[in-house]
Amino acid sequence: MERDREESVDLAQISLRPLQLSDVDDLMVWTTDEKVPKFCTWEPYSSKDQGIDFIQNKACEFLWSRAICLNDSAIGFISMTSSSVTDKSRGKSVELGYVLGSKYWSKGIMTYVVKQVKKVAFREFPHLERLEALVDAENVGSQRVLEKAGFHREGVLRKYLFFKGKSRDMVIFSVLSTDLNHQD
Amino acid sequence: MSNLDLSKISLRPFKLSDVDDFLLWAGDDQVTQNLRWKTCGSREEALAFIRDVCIPHPWRRSICLDDRSIGFVSVYPWSGDDRCKADIGYAVAADYWGQGIATKAVKMAVPQVFNDLSHLVRLQAFTSPENKASQRVVEKAGFLKEGLLRKYIYFEENIKDSVVFSFLSTDEFPHDD
Repeated sequence: MERDREESVDLAQISLRPLQLSDVDDLMVWTTDEKVPKFCTWEPYSSKDQGIDFIQNKACEFLWSRAICLNDSAIGFISMTSSSVTDKSRGKSVELGYVLGSKYWSKGIMTYVVKQVKKVAFREFPHLERLEALVDAENVGSQRVLEKAGFHREGVLRKYLFFKGKSRDMVIFSVLSTDLNHQD
Repeated sequence: MSNLDLSKISLRPFKLSDVDDFLLWAGDDQVTQNLRWKTCGSREEALAFIRDVCIPHPWRRSICLDDRSIGFVSVYPWSGDDRCKADIGYAVAADYWGQGIATKAVKMAVPQVFNDLSHLVRLQAFTSPENKASQRVVEKAGFLKEGLLRKYIYFEENIKDSVVFSFLSTDEFPHDD
């Protein structure tokens, strides 16, 4: 009986670029996978129209976003949203969000990408003071990504969000522009 | 230490007739420095503020001593999908500091707020790390300290850390003591 060999990924094959309409079939792979949006506010997609709508209408609404690519094929998505969208007193803060196809989990890809994007954020937005991320308290994998990428875990915000019929405790992480001076 | 009978403290909506008492504390920089309020500079400003902000507010109450306004407690619910949470703020006239009034007022407000705001699950308070007195208010009222959020708030060209506290609808309501 053949044993499946888990393929490791050469991180040099990972790149970031804007999401394009031609990525829609690749996008449908992770958006239709039930495992992927488990801790996200959205439900798995059921039609390609949703994928097209996301690429054409939703992706551009982020402050900044990129497709995460393996040999130039999209395997995930990473974005930044200005915190002042919900609170005018949070204009120097940006929130990070990301998603990756489940086939590519646990290979260090997301950690690698977040480390790059952390530097990009403070370079692209010179007035940015704080990059933060909120992760469901049950989403241990995503918490590990942020810890390994050098984010500080600040605490757990109890029942901070409500979606898919449930209150969620969210762990809040941050990295400051001043933290970067002491890191790689 | 305290000679004040806290049973004389009550909460009620603001009235235009509170204007002169209101100006005593809302016109005091000491009181407003930790708030997002602009210090009221005149009776006219105070009247407009009560009429245009305090009275139409989703949940704002005057903290009263013998029915005269000496401060406020405010709860601002988030909207849409985020209406499960709301932010609480409070202040007391400087002359009345150190007597447990804000604590008493917040303790009184908590059950009322959860009763009045039907979707509310989480009441949160953000305090300045230096403002220990304000942190003690919410701690004594039963809020849980969740963490220090670094460079969280940017207000009037100052970026500040914030200590975040929460009280949940499932937490035990504070007792009077």
